[in-house]
Amino acid sequence: MTPTVSASGLGLSYGRTRALDDVSLRLTPGVTGLLGPNGAGKTTLLRVLATAVPADRGAFTVLGHDPGTSRGRQEVRRRLGYLPQTPGFHPDFTAFEFVDYVAILKELADRRERHREVRRVLAEVDLGDVRGRRIKKLSGGMRQRVALAAALVGDPGFLVLDEPTVGLDPEQRMRFRELIAGAGEGRTVLLSTHQTEDVAMLCHRVIVMAAGTVCFDGTPAELTARAAGRVWSSTEKDPGAKAGWRTGTGSFRNVGDPPPGAEPAEPTLEDGYLLALDDAGTEVAA
Amino acid sequence: MRGLTAVRGTLTVDLAVPLWRTLPWRALAAAGALGLLVAGFPLVTGAEPAPWQTLMLLRGAALVGALGLAFLLDDPARHLTAPVPTPRLLRQALRVALVAPLAALWWTAVLLLTPVASRPPAGGVTLEALAVGALALAAAALAVRLTDEARPGPFVAAFLLFTAVLAPLLAPEDWALFVQADDPRWSVGHDRWAVLAAAVAVLGAGCGPEPSGRRRGR
Repeated sequence: MTPTVSASGLGLSYGRTRALDDVSLRLTPGVTGLLGPNGAGKTTLLRVLATAVPADRGAFTVLGHDPGTSRGRQEVRRRLGYLPQTPGFHPDFTAFEFVDYVAILKELADRRERHREVRRVLAEVDLGDVRGRRIKKLSGGMRQRVALAAALVGDPGFLVLDEPTVGLDPEQRMRFRELIAGAGEGRTVLLSTHQTEDVAMLCHRVIVMAAGTVCFDGTPAELTARAAGRVWSSTEKDPGAKAGWRTGTGSFRNVGDPPPGAEPAEPTLEDGYLLALDDAGTEVAA
Repeated sequence: MRGLTAVRGTLTVDLAVPLWRTLPWRALAAAGALGLLVAGFPLVTGAEPAPWQTLMLLRGAALVGALGLAFLLDDPARHLTAPVPTPRLLRQALRVALVAPLAALWWTAVLLLTPVASRPPAGGVTLEALAVGALALAAAALAVRLTDEARPGPFVAAFLLFTAVLAPLLAPEDWALFVQADDPRWSVGHDRWAVLAAAVAVLGAGCGPEPSGRRRGR
């Protein structure tokens, strides 16, 4: 399958800090999850791929276009949807006006078609009924959906979502998952998140980052399998465990290298994620 | 090519309306009102200022107006609209173009509010106001280019205020930037103001285009 995004050796430094270090990846249609602790370089990678900041080193293409050139960057941006971590709005705009504003910036020139497209994306994110309401009167979840609608307007082939479910209540998060799953049908979505459940439920592939590098790239099942035989239960927290915590049943769940005779437990994606970080030398103590 | 230009033209017209609404009207209105108050002080109090005092009032009003312009490139939706195909330079230029006629009207009002008897040559003092406004816009464009701040206005305004305090103290005497209207160096000083205005305008325009996708090592 031809990759939507193909990157090799991407690097970006802020002063002496290497925010991205030799990142190579290929993204294909479907939802790819991007996991990693704070400061791992997830947002930086997303911003680079979204052409919001240029990389210091390396090269990448999006839908066959090289954003390293002015013309290529324009072409990429015409096919890109981006939802940043803190979107920011003009609060006096209505939802319709704001998405229409973004649509103009995305060069949707025909006014009638553009308005039709704005209504379509607002309906897609379930905001059709409140499209005339000012953004300052919308709830946090609704605002986040306005931002998603702005990212979706123009039917982009590559969608970059930076922690879109942060701050949402469980019901809104479920609704957002449905929307992202829908958005991932027929297009490439890169989803940065701290929620391993989001990845387990939505993603056909997961990338784990630590200290600016990719430390795992595979399917969620492969990441879970990484923890096979490395999760066990005990009545006390095992001091030899990489991470351990008391569960609701009162027993301890431990992740790491089990002692002989340990009672094995079913691994989860989160266990695999913690071990991937540990293998990359990142502190994971819980 | 002509079709592309027509599309760009349509989009620019369509963009003008929402962009007009995103302008920092509170900051602009506050600066405008304060500038008028400063310039209109003699009119309100019935004072008859000396020419040097009127010049000070006009320079003060110009600075206040520039402080308002320091907020012109603030954009709370900056991060969401960062990777769009419409160039940042176009968006910034459009903001300046939308405000320019109002700024010109405001400055005319400021000039007319000062007493005719002590008013300095309008051309020279207008050039000073233009240079200070251009400095505010260039500093704002530089802040947008170098930082991730969605609202760099307060920092730019603080920088401008700081510069306004230091410039008369630190500018070389022979540059004659802050001379009085009856000083024989008035004309030469304003040649320098013109150079200054042009230089900061070029700097501001140079900050508009986004950096290329390649910095090094490719």
